[in-house]
Amino acid sequence: MSILTASRLRVARRRLIHAVPVLVLATFIVFGILKLMPGDIAITLAGENATEERIAEIRQNYGLDRPFLVQYGSWLWNAVQGDLSRSLASGEEVAVQIARSFPITLLIVVMAMGFALVFGIPLGILAASRPDSLVDRVVTSIGSLGIAVPNFWLAMIFVSWFALEFGWFPATGSVPLTQDPGQAIWHAFLPALALASGGMSEVSRQLRSSLVEVMSSPQVRTLHAKGLTPAAILWKHGLKNVSVNLLTVTSLLFNRMLAATVVVEAVFAIPGMGSLIVNAALFRDLPVAQGVVFVMVLVVISVNLVTDLLYTVLDPRIR
Amino acid sequence: MMLARFFGWLARDLRAAFSLGFLLLLALLAVAAPWIAPHSPIEQNFDMILAQAEPGYPLGTDDLGRDVLSRLIHGAAITLYASFLAVGVAVLIGVPVGLLAGYVGGWVDDVISRVIDALLSFPAIVLAIAVTGALGIGMTNAMISVGIVFSPQLARIVRARTLVVRHELYVDAARCFGAGTGRILWRHVLPNTVQPVIVQVTLLLAAALLAEASLSFLGLGIQPPDPSWGAMLARAYQSMEIAPAQMYPPGLAILLTALAFNTLGESLRAALDPTMKT
Amino acid sequence: MTSRKKSDLRLPFAPMTRREWLMMMGAGTAAALLPGAVFAQGEPRRGGVLRVSGFANPSSLDPATGGAGSDHTYLWTIYDTLVEWDYKTLEPRPGIAQWKFSDPTTMVLTISPNVLFHDDTACDAEAVKFNLDRGRGDDRSNIKADLSSIDSVEVTGPLEVTVRLTRPDSALPAILSDRAGMMVSPTAAGKLGDEHDRKGVGAGPWKLVEWADNQNITVTRHEKYWRDDRGFVDGIEFSIMPERATGLRSVVAGQNDLAYQLPPRLKPLIDRSKDVELVTGPTLYCRQIYLNLSRGPLQDVRVRQAMNFAIDREAFVKVAQSGFGEPAHMNLPSSHWAYDPEVAKLYPHDPDKARALLAEAGFKDGFDLTIGGYTDADSVRRGEILMDQLGKIGIRLRFTNGTVAEISAQYFGQEKKFDSLVSAWTGRPDPAMSYGLMYAKDAYFNAGRVEVSAELTELLAKSRESEDMAVRKEIFSRLQRIVMEQALVVPIAFDAEMTAISKKVVGYRPNLIGKPKYEFVSLAS
Repeated sequence: MSILTASRLRVARRRLIHAVPVLVLATFIVFGILKLMPGDIAITLAGENATEERIAEIRQNYGLDRPFLVQYGSWLWNAVQGDLSRSLASGEEVAVQIARSFPITLLIVVMAMGFALVFGIPLGILAASRPDSLVDRVVTSIGSLGIAVPNFWLAMIFVSWFALEFGWFPATGSVPLTQDPGQAIWHAFLPALALASGGMSEVSRQLRSSLVEVMSSPQVRTLHAKGLTPAAILWKHGLKNVSVNLLTVTSLLFNRMLAATVVVEAVFAIPGMGSLIVNAALFRDLPVAQGVVFVMVLVVISVNLVTDLLYTVLDPRIR
Repeated sequence: MMLARFFGWLARDLRAAFSLGFLLLLALLAVAAPWIAPHSPIEQNFDMILAQAEPGYPLGTDDLGRDVLSRLIHGAAITLYASFLAVGVAVLIGVPVGLLAGYVGGWVDDVISRVIDALLSFPAIVLAIAVTGALGIGMTNAMISVGIVFSPQLARIVRARTLVVRHELYVDAARCFGAGTGRILWRHVLPNTVQPVIVQVTLLLAAALLAEASLSFLGLGIQPPDPSWGAMLARAYQSMEIAPAQMYPPGLAILLTALAFNTLGESLRAALDPTMKT
Repeated sequence: MTSRKKSDLRLPFAPMTRREWLMMMGAGTAAALLPGAVFAQGEPRRGGVLRVSGFANPSSLDPATGGAGSDHTYLWTIYDTLVEWDYKTLEPRPGIAQWKFSDPTTMVLTISPNVLFHDDTACDAEAVKFNLDRGRGDDRSNIKADLSSIDSVEVTGPLEVTVRLTRPDSALPAILSDRAGMMVSPTAAGKLGDEHDRKGVGAGPWKLVEWADNQNITVTRHEKYWRDDRGFVDGIEFSIMPERATGLRSVVAGQNDLAYQLPPRLKPLIDRSKDVELVTGPTLYCRQIYLNLSRGPLQDVRVRQAMNFAIDREAFVKVAQSGFGEPAHMNLPSSHWAYDPEVAKLYPHDPDKARALLAEAGFKDGFDLTIGGYTDADSVRRGEILMDQLGKIGIRLRFTNGTVAEISAQYFGQEKKFDSLVSAWTGRPDPAMSYGLMYAKDAYFNAGRVEVSAELTELLAKSRESEDMAVRKEIFSRLQRIVMEQALVVPIAFDAEMTAISKKVVGYRPNLIGKPKYEFVSLAS
């Protein structure tokens, strides 16, 4: 049976159409807020030998004195044609900047998701296998701890011990995956670990609760009565139900981690999307800020879309 | 009657009791800070920069010779104030918006939902930075912006509840009797959204705490020389190689407080969730 | 390889008198860093790639369109300048060109032969004229103000350019050691247009290969560079790391060979590492409190003087700068050719006198002063020290912190949001530029746009009239005296350059501008 059924394509198309106003709104909001901020980049660009005339000149050259909607409109018009314009601060093309920094952030987020699943799933299963026991309580407590801990504090601790004290990992920087996969992963290890703490807890908690729910359902009890081992029950019956929840958690986590990398990147001095947009917001580099928001929203929408489509694959009852 | 139920719940749920106790203790510390703290949090002492723990300075001193313990205690007040401010703003904005969207429905709901989606689709901290920049840097403005950033989540929850409640029988009955929309919202719909809102508020308090820490870490937020736990952490990062111990007191304080809020929230959710009531 | 003992370069933690500092500097520099001493046993080795931990992303790699003081260290690898300077005193020296004033308003530039740009075109009189005209007239030029005294530029020979001025400007040679004197290939500028910002083509020892924003800049040897007594390394790779502690860590870990603009508080880390050495030297980078002279209490000279008395500069240097650098009593450091030690005596640390002055001015109970500052941890720390010191005489600083761009804009720009600003003056090749940009009536960096005295205005003009260094020095002494007697600013301290180098790096010398140049650096095998 084809994965891309007509109904799924319809869902996809409907979602994408609904996504457009969200995209426009998100970039408009960012634009509006940044415009509201006092000052603009003209003074920074004028630099050390600034004069009033030069600053006014710069404003004119970059079109910073045009009406609000005109500026936004012209950016939007270019964006939909694929031109994300250039950074005001350095002149580099925004698309190039994003193309360079996004994979860096993506690597960290994907690795963090990996850690979350690798640690979270076994913990969740462990807790679910003995509900309300001591083991269960311990796992739940670890989970609570994982959510409450500030990511960047964890990052600082990791740097302090594993990088500076023991020298097992680099303390700073990143390496592109295409350049040297081994180095790239080695550099991304600690940041990803710091990012994963919350995710691991979420995964284990969700898994535990949905497993417990499944295991106590009538169907499972019937299967158990018929003599199937718990493992077999889990495999045949449990996994399918659980996988839907797992998928939900995963996609939620992805979006949340994408946001949370910002501060972690700061601790490790990693030039990813996080630092890109933070610097852009701080320096009123509007094209960069909007470009990054544009791409991030696109990514989030795509992830949601893929998730929804995967739902229908995993559980045909969901439409 | 309510009070009895409350204490009964606490007696059964030890974790909730501990969390609440911890938070009350913290609040007490915050209020009593000027009397409890052994030293002034802003008094600089250049002979004792980054000193280790010693009598009179149980947690050592920071990079300007200020007592870490005193700063931690005073920081509690500021940090708690920051969290409550942010969540207060979130409630002030999110609840009415959610009620509006859920009750009125139609195109109003559509527009509001789109805006909520847009706001939720990009990193909260970026929005916070941008709004802080627009409002002007400072602790109050930073937390107001965090509150604005949190309000969509709350709005969504309130909206969902409102949608459910809207069609309940008693609401229809009230409308039949000619009760105005405002009165219906106030007397019937709002009380039914209180429970999930309370739960979400406690969870948001933890999130606001972490948001304040993050913003202060990035240099926005608290203005010198007032201490906040996030700002203390940022300074500790600078001296990481020379005095690594500096990062533990504020980090642990943030961790424990966030944990307390979260635990309380989870326990509240378990207690208030109608499906789990016996 | 020569062994350079760390003790030669190590400076004590305790504050020093200025004399001790100068002696130290003399000893340190002489013992270790002059090419002559180091290369006593032969030519510096050619080859190798120098890896540098860069401090900030450039605003542009075209000298005329950029504006950040942090750009120069990148620009100097790509562009040679018409005029250069002595590393220690900043006295102008010939670079690509020699200059001569045939009369006070006519400057003749004689260009060295055989100077080739990276694209093989010649840096001749036409090219120089192109550059000067471009700097003066291009829409995107940020250096128009620097060249404002030029009336016309004429090619008077294949290697000779005559510059006619509207008024005497003896600061012009020094100006031509900065952005305005960085020669860009006219062919490249024409062909690339705005793209030249990102693909600068000059005549420097290295040519630009790649610039990835906020990540790295790579330059490689210019095979046809016109001098062979500099530019020894095959290439330089800058990794951009705004977090300086991170930059230092990368040198300690061996990932980079050099990290500059390090905060002094990191010195213990350098000491701890066996493979990393500290190079330090005085700079023009002056940390100061800018004052808006049109605001409330600041209009009274006694208040401003009180602020100068209240600051404990020695303590500031000790705590905020770990003993590195020197107290600033005026906008020039002690090793500058125009420094006047008499002016330095005006404001010893005297809180009692400060309080008396405030009381005299009618502020017995002190007052609140709004002040802008930056959000990075070091700036916050400095601000807290100042709050404490000024608080002791009753002046309560009310900080608003933000990014450099935001706060600078709010203070200097039209909003005029704060009464004062704690920041730094990065220094200019010629003191006339600094004083003009900060204290002239309509100067951008004079937030209050106040004309303090007619004499000041007159002296600013006169400082550019004579070429005679002795005459200029005397004028600058009077200028500085007026600035400090009127307390137009509160200078606090000069930064020391703090650069960490790995043992492989040979021949690195600090300069008074404080922006690293790598032309004499070579790498040991």
